[in-house]
Amino acid sequence: MAGTGHAQLRDRDDVLLCVKDLVVQFPAGRGRVVHAVSEVSFDVVAGETLGIVGESGCGKSTVARAIIRLVDITAGEVRFQDQDLAGLEGEELRKVRPNLQMIFQDPISSLNPRRRVRDVIAEGLAVWGDDIGSWSRDRIDELMDAVGVEARFGDRRPHEFSGGQCQRIGIARALALDPKVLICDEPVSALDVSIQAQILNLIQDMKSRYGLTVMFISHDLAVVKNVSDRIVVMYLGKVCEIGATEEIYSRPSHPYTRALLASIPEPAPTVDASEGDIGDELPSATAPPGGCRFHTRCPRATEVCLEVEPVTEQVGAEDHYVACHHPVAVEISPR
Amino acid sequence: MAAEATPAPAPLLSVRDLHVRFPTERGTVNAVNGVSFDLYEGRTLAIVGESGSGKSVTAKTLMNLLPRTALVGGDVIYDDQDVRALAAAGTKHFFGVQMTMVFQDPMTSLNPVKKVGEQIAETLRYHLGRSRGEAWDEAEDLLSQVGMPEPARRVSQYPHELSGGLRQRVVIAMALACRPRLLIADEPTTAVDVTVQKHLLDLLDELRRDRGMSMILITHDLGVAHGRADDVAVMYAGRIVETADARTLFFDMRHPYTEALLRSIPRIEDPVKHRLDPIPGRPPELVSPPDACAFAPRCIYAQAGCLDGVPELSGLVGLHRFACLNPTGTERGADALAANRAAGTTAAGLALPAAQAGTG
Repeated sequence: MAGTGHAQLRDRDDVLLCVKDLVVQFPAGRGRVVHAVSEVSFDVVAGETLGIVGESGCGKSTVARAIIRLVDITAGEVRFQDQDLAGLEGEELRKVRPNLQMIFQDPISSLNPRRRVRDVIAEGLAVWGDDIGSWSRDRIDELMDAVGVEARFGDRRPHEFSGGQCQRIGIARALALDPKVLICDEPVSALDVSIQAQILNLIQDMKSRYGLTVMFISHDLAVVKNVSDRIVVMYLGKVCEIGATEEIYSRPSHPYTRALLASIPEPAPTVDASEGDIGDELPSATAPPGGCRFHTRCPRATEVCLEVEPVTEQVGAEDHYVACHHPVAVEISPR
Repeated sequence: MAAEATPAPAPLLSVRDLHVRFPTERGTVNAVNGVSFDLYEGRTLAIVGESGSGKSVTAKTLMNLLPRTALVGGDVIYDDQDVRALAAAGTKHFFGVQMTMVFQDPMTSLNPVKKVGEQIAETLRYHLGRSRGEAWDEAEDLLSQVGMPEPARRVSQYPHELSGGLRQRVVIAMALACRPRLLIADEPTTAVDVTVQKHLLDLLDELRRDRGMSMILITHDLGVAHGRADDVAVMYAGRIVETADARTLFFDMRHPYTEALLRSIPRIEDPVKHRLDPIPGRPPELVSPPDACAFAPRCIYAQAGCLDGVPELSGLVGLHRFACLNPTGTERGADALAANRAAGTTAAGLALPAAQAGTG
C-alpha cells in the first residue's frame, strides 16, 4: 500500500464497478481529519469476486460503505455501469441502490429485532413496490428456501434464530432486490468455526444462481483466498498490492502482503516466518506517515520511501500490481 | 510438597469430573459436563472449542470467577491444594498470584481512568506488599519484559492511549507481576489483528519458557492451538471429546468432530475457490441435552449405539483419549461410514450423499 496510481485498472467492456482515486475523510474534532481511504483505485468485472483484505483501520470497510454511499465520498469516482455514484443525490441515488446490496459482520444486530423475518426480507420489495417487479409471498418463500431457512419459520423474529441462520436471512434480504453487486463485509467473522464453511459455500451458490458480482471484505487471508478471483491488499487507507488471487498468494511482492502471510498461525509456504516481524504499532490515520504509509514498519524501507509515495506498477504476471519502491522480486508466471 | 518423594512428577493442575450448571429461566444450562485433565509443569494445554462448548466456563471455574448462581461439582487440585476449598474459604494471594488469567478484550480488563503503571503496581502492592515506589519501578520493569516500547513513558499512560496490542501487553504484564506458575489465557488474541497476534503469541511462548510456567490456552482457532500447544483438548457441548498431544490430534485424530472441524476451515494452502466441506447442522442446546453423543446429529459416522447414552472418553488421563464409538481412522469407523453411505442416511437421520467414496 502506500500507493496511488491507476495501472491496475482494466480497459475492458465488462467492467461493472470502477473505483478511481476514492478519498474518504472523517472529521476527528479540533480540525483534525481521519484519512480513512486515500486515493484508492480498483475495478470489478461482471461475475468476478473481488476480495479486499487488510487489518483493522486499513479502510476496507469504509471503501465498501462509500461504494453504496453509506458514508460520504470526499473525492474520487465510483463508476457503476457508466454512472458516477459519487455525485448522485436523492431520487437518482435511490434508483441505483437496489443494484448494490450489502451483508454485514454481525448478523443478529443487522436485523430489526421487532419484525418477523419474512417482513425483514420483504422490506426492500415493499419499499420499491412495482418499480422492482411484483413481490409476493412466493418470492419470499423462494428466497428463504434458496438460503436454507425453512419458509415455515417466516413468522419468527430474529432472536429465535442462531447467528448462522440470521446471516442466511441477511443474505436473503440482500438478494430480494435482485442486485447486480453483493458486498459482503466480514460476513463470517462473527460466526462459529463450524458454521463459517456453510455460509461461505452459500455465498458461492447464490453467486452462481443469481449471477452476482461479489466484493468480499475480510481480515482472514484463508477465507479471502477461498472465495476471491482477485485480491486487493490495503494498508492504512491505501492499496498495497492487487492481482489475481493465485498470484498474490503464491508470489506476494509487497513487504506488507508478505508480513500478513507470515503472521497467520500456519504461515504460507511462500514467505519466511521472520517477514511477519513488523512491530505492532499502526500509525494514526489522523497523521499518516508521508511517502509510503508503510515505511514506519517496513523492513525494506529506504530514504526514498520516506519522501516519495509509490504508485502501482505491474510486477511479474499480467494481472499483478504493487505499490512499492522495493518490491520483492517475483518470478514471472509461465502463464 | 509431599509429592517430592515419588519418582513420577505430579501434575501441577489436576481437574477431575468438573461439572458446571447455570439455573436460568429457560431451564438448567449444562455448561460443563464432566471435564478431566492434567497439566504438567512447563507444558501448554490448548482447550479448543466453539462458543458454548464450555471452554471459557472451564477456565473461569479454575479461576473462581463464576457468578454465585453457578452450581459446580468435581475436583480442581493445584499443587496438592484443593482449589475449590481455597476459593470457598476466601483465601487471598492465591488467585492472581499462583494462577493468573489474561482475557480476550484488553480494553474491558483494564481500568480506563487509571494509568497502566498504577494498575500493575496495584497488584504488586496488594499481593506482595511492595511500597508505592518499589511497585512503580517494578511495573516499568514488567512492561519492558513484555516488549513494551518506551516503557518509561508508557507506564504513565492511560489504556486509551495504547493500541490493542500494547494494551494486551499491559494485561500480560499484570498477569505476570506475581510470578505465577500457571497462566490461563482465554482467547488472548481474538480481539487483535493478525500481525499483532503473532507478536503476542510469540511473547507468551517466550515468557512461558523463560519462567518455566505452565499455560492453558483457550481458543476457537485451531491454527493458534496447532503451533503453540504441547497438548490439545477439543471440547463440544461441555465435554472433552478428544485430547492428545498436538501432533496426534491434528494428524491422527479419532473423533469425527475434530476431523470435521479441521476439514471445514479454509486453509491458506488450499487451492483458490476450493469448495469447503462444512459440518451440517449446528451445535446443540445445552438445556436438557439428550442422553446421547451430542455430536451424533451432525456426524456422518453415527450409528444406533451413538444415540443410546453419552460415550465415555476412552483410555487413561494423559494418553490419546476420545469419546466416540465409531472413531475415524479405525476399521469400525470406516465400516460405520460405509454402512451410512450405503443407506444414504445416518442413524440420527442425517442425509449423506452416497457417491463420495474413499473417505474414512
